[in-house]
Amino acid sequence: MLHKLTPYLLVAPLIIFITVFTYIPVITSVNLSLRHWDFLSPTMPFVGFENYRLLLNSRDFWNSLQVTAIFALISVPIRLALALAVASYLVRETLPSRLLRGALFLPSVTSTVSIAVVFSWVFATDYGMVNAALTSLGLGKVQWLQDPQLALWVLITVNTWKQLGYDIVIYIAGLQAVPQELYDAASVDGGRRFHVFRRVTVPLVMPTTYFLLVISVIEAFQVFTIVNIMTHGGPAGATDMLVNLLYRVGFTLFDIGRGSALAVLLFIFLIVLALIKSFVIGRRVHYEA
Amino acid sequence: MKLENPIVTSLALFAGLIFLSPVLYSIWMSFETAQSYYTGQYEFTLDNYVRAVAEYNFARYLMNSIIVSGLVTLLGITVATMAAFAFARYQFRGGNLLFGATVATLMIPSHISLIPNYLTLAKAGLLDTYAGLILPAISNGFAAFFLRQYIKGIPKALDEAAYMDGATPLQVLWRVIVPIARPAIFSMGLYIFITEWNNYIWPLVAVGREDLYTLQIGLARLYRINPGEGLVDWPLVMAACTLSMLPVLLGFLLVERHLVRGITLGAVK
Repeated sequence: MLHKLTPYLLVAPLIIFITVFTYIPVITSVNLSLRHWDFLSPTMPFVGFENYRLLLNSRDFWNSLQVTAIFALISVPIRLALALAVASYLVRETLPSRLLRGALFLPSVTSTVSIAVVFSWVFATDYGMVNAALTSLGLGKVQWLQDPQLALWVLITVNTWKQLGYDIVIYIAGLQAVPQELYDAASVDGGRRFHVFRRVTVPLVMPTTYFLLVISVIEAFQVFTIVNIMTHGGPAGATDMLVNLLYRVGFTLFDIGRGSALAVLLFIFLIVLALIKSFVIGRRVHYEA
Repeated sequence: MKLENPIVTSLALFAGLIFLSPVLYSIWMSFETAQSYYTGQYEFTLDNYVRAVAEYNFARYLMNSIIVSGLVTLLGITVATMAAFAFARYQFRGGNLLFGATVATLMIPSHISLIPNYLTLAKAGLLDTYAGLILPAISNGFAAFFLRQYIKGIPKALDEAAYMDGATPLQVLWRVIVPIARPAIFSMGLYIFITEWNNYIWPLVAVGREDLYTLQIGLARLYRINPGEGLVDWPLVMAACTLSMLPVLLGFLLVERHLVRGITLGAVK
């Protein structure tokens, strides 16, 4: 009797936590997204799809979607290209390679808040690191974070700097799985270095590339900390990414209905991406014999 | 590990230094006075750390971060290991369904839970408490999934021998499985600890009381209040920044291999 109950008792804590803090919240969000509520009123009247309608008609939402999409479209390809190039150099087990791997990987375990603060200094108009370098070259100061044309690029740079090491580590793992014979065969055939890279390395790490592509897009749609610390979504909404808008609507404007509607839309979008991811991983190609 | 020629080694080192220069310089800067930073004459001081701790309460935030991340790791890894053991070793009605529900949490973005979790904890009177910071972070579907795969790889004969000797399931878990799975548990624990240490958005919404701030919230607040008084006191801000990075940086130097392993194991199976 007791033996039969054992597995249930063992999984119970995990299942209870998952239910209370993951599954019930999904249902709650859908429910709240159909209501009008401000955290305080005793009633939360049902308003149907009104919140969604308001959201889809608001300039803030479309701006935020556009900013997020630009962020993803620019940062993800840069990250993957850089990471693959660096990884195919660092895959060798030599001392400099190990040292560089460590240096590049460090930012991905460092707190995003600290990184955002450090880069607020790097790109500060007065006494910032970049502008100090520009001034010493005799060039003028640039208002990196106050210029709507530039602020998003700064965030893309910071995010790339932080995530690059992670991408590299994953690529190195992918590259190590490529059988050495394939490289040997390619070089026996007189393949030049770049040629081998393009014809052998790139196709063979394609599964890793798909994987990184999807998770980086998922990540890009959830960027919040660097925005919250460095720009607050400004100047003039230029960096107002989706989660920043969600935080603003929910926790500073206290419009729970609209905030929840936004969360549900984000959820649907990310679930679709996650399904693509598990589909891709389920079909990962293996080249080993 | 092969040694390469010293020129390549120094070039690689140099590239790494350039890459890390913002962080390295910010640590260097944290040891000078604001005055010396703005005039450009370096002057060593520990004053920024003294001020961060004494005036801005960073000792308290450090302790809060250790308590919260420590408990999340301990409870999270315990809950995940127990469930992983059940999923790996028992055939039970509903087992596959529950395992599926566990794995499916990996796809659910945490931001959808933000408002509902805030409401749940408000209703339970747990906002502005350690429990409010800790509870939503305990369940970790990924850790449970990963440890299950690992435990499945441990020969079942070992459990059976222990059962023959009259061990209970919990004894088998604790005496047989946990010692063998220790490297995996350690890597996962590190991963959970670092993720929680760096967590920002949840403490931001769940905590309003200053004495419950974690380092990340304390640092964000210190940076934000600072510009009000004219120029930012960058050396002070960087001292606070260094304090909030320090434990992870030190840990990184000690257990880099485990960390990389934890992260690659997650992505590449």
